Amino acid sequence: MTRAHAFFVATLLLALLGALWPGSARALDRTFAGSVQLGENVAPMEPSTNAGTQSFYGFTAELSGKLAVDLTEHVSANVKICYGCHGFETDMAYFDLRLNDELNVRVGRFSPSFGAFNLRHDPANHKLADKPLPYDMGRMLRMRDWNLGVLPSPFPNNGVEVDGAHWFGDTAEIEYAAYAVSGFKAQESALDLDFVEQHSLYYVENNNLPTGGGRVAMTLKLGPAVDLTYGASGMYGTYDPQNQFTYGIFGGDVWLRFGRTNVRAEWLMRRQTFDTSNQAALKYTVPPTGGDFFVKHGAYVEVEQPLGAGVDGILRADGLLRLGNIAAGSPLSNQATVLRYTLGTSIVIARGVRLKLSPELYQFNYSDANGRNLEVCLQTAVAGAF
Amino acid sequence: MRAWVVALLVSSALWACASTMEQTEGMDPSAVPPEQQADYAVFAQRCSKCHSLARPLNSGITDDGYWRMYVEKMRRQPGSGISENDRVPILRFLHWYSTSQKPKADGGS
Repeated sequence: MTRAHAFFVATLLLALLGALWPGSARALDRTFAGSVQLGENVAPMEPSTNAGTQSFYGFTAELSGKLAVDLTEHVSANVKICYGCHGFETDMAYFDLRLNDELNVRVGRFSPSFGAFNLRHDPANHKLADKPLPYDMGRMLRMRDWNLGVLPSPFPNNGVEVDGAHWFGDTAEIEYAAYAVSGFKAQESALDLDFVEQHSLYYVENNNLPTGGGRVAMTLKLGPAVDLTYGASGMYGTYDPQNQFTYGIFGGDVWLRFGRTNVRAEWLMRRQTFDTSNQAALKYTVPPTGGDFFVKHGAYVEVEQPLGAGVDGILRADGLLRLGNIAAGSPLSNQATVLRYTLGTSIVIARGVRLKLSPELYQFNYSDANGRNLEVCLQTAVAGAF
Repeated sequence: MRAWVVALLVSSALWACASTMEQTEGMDPSAVPPEQQADYAVFAQRCSKCHSLARPLNSGITDDGYWRMYVEKMRRQPGSGISENDRVPILRFLHWYSTSQKPKADGGS
């Protein structure tokens, strides 16, 4: 029995124990919630030949509906269906089997615990129309050049997670998560992960090794209205059918909240090996040693400040850095960078409905077909939650 | 270029309209009785960390038992910052809010 199988069996036994644990038998409690965001990305400087391929410009809708059912005090089920750029996606379909605050077993399909942003990935829960570049899933300019961010969010996977939290008095909380999930995928000889396949209709794994990972975070209540949360996350696995090539994603995050002001910063990096047997498929000559991987970094710093009744201002700086060989024909170099500066606002139109506006300046270290390194766009969206 | 100009004009118009509406996602502080202000402050601070206050306020939940379960679930969310001591003021506020909304939902005055 492999360690992965042993982990699975152990968590399954814990899950069964949790399901059989005596709990107060409330009647079934159901909660239905959802959100809708309609966005328009106005990018006047994008070459028209790229329209529709390098960014999502036209009206882009993101819809979600979530049903949470509490079967007992210790067992709950969650199903969330999203409709976005990729069509329908099962963002969540899992059972939580909770023994106590310190031990919860999650079984099914879910985004494993990683970083701070993914908790807010629903458009109704973040105040800009798009996600930070490390987590971008298609709203960034030149997205095809970059194959999206470091870890496009959300990232639902099939698997098992054990997580929990413990409070030390009323001032400090430590939380942890450890998981084994199906992981990211790509075809044989692919040079990067295939995030489209990740959201395809077939949720089956393409190899027989799970991806393992975990997260540790701490929240400190520094005052009645001051919180500091910081954490570290990591995951590691193989992505090709033959389990020959690996990826490791690691990150650190910090979130300071004082009053209603939020300051967030996060850094992610993905180190990924790839097939170098076909030199013709690569842009640069492969050296005898050490040329079989690339590293993609992503980071953002964001300040969110209430400006008045129902109006928030958001200032964000984020970027990507990709180091290493790349597919022949790619406009990126082996040291490619993009920096983005966003000055956004989010205005409450009605309780639960927001208008989001954010001009963005992109600074690439390579030129597009028109010889431009700088580009601007205006992200607009209306988002509502119910 | 025309799309850019149109989007800017539409956005500006929407912004102007929205700014004059002075809506908030939480409660109008003047609508919260003095004895509920402290509880509301805890609710507003804690429950706006990960999501809009509109979610609980628009939920239509009026059952205290349901709120207890729901707040417990939120407390266990990673990084929520909701401690055991925060539960009571949050639940007290939600009880008051649910009770004050009931007459409206029932069509009363």
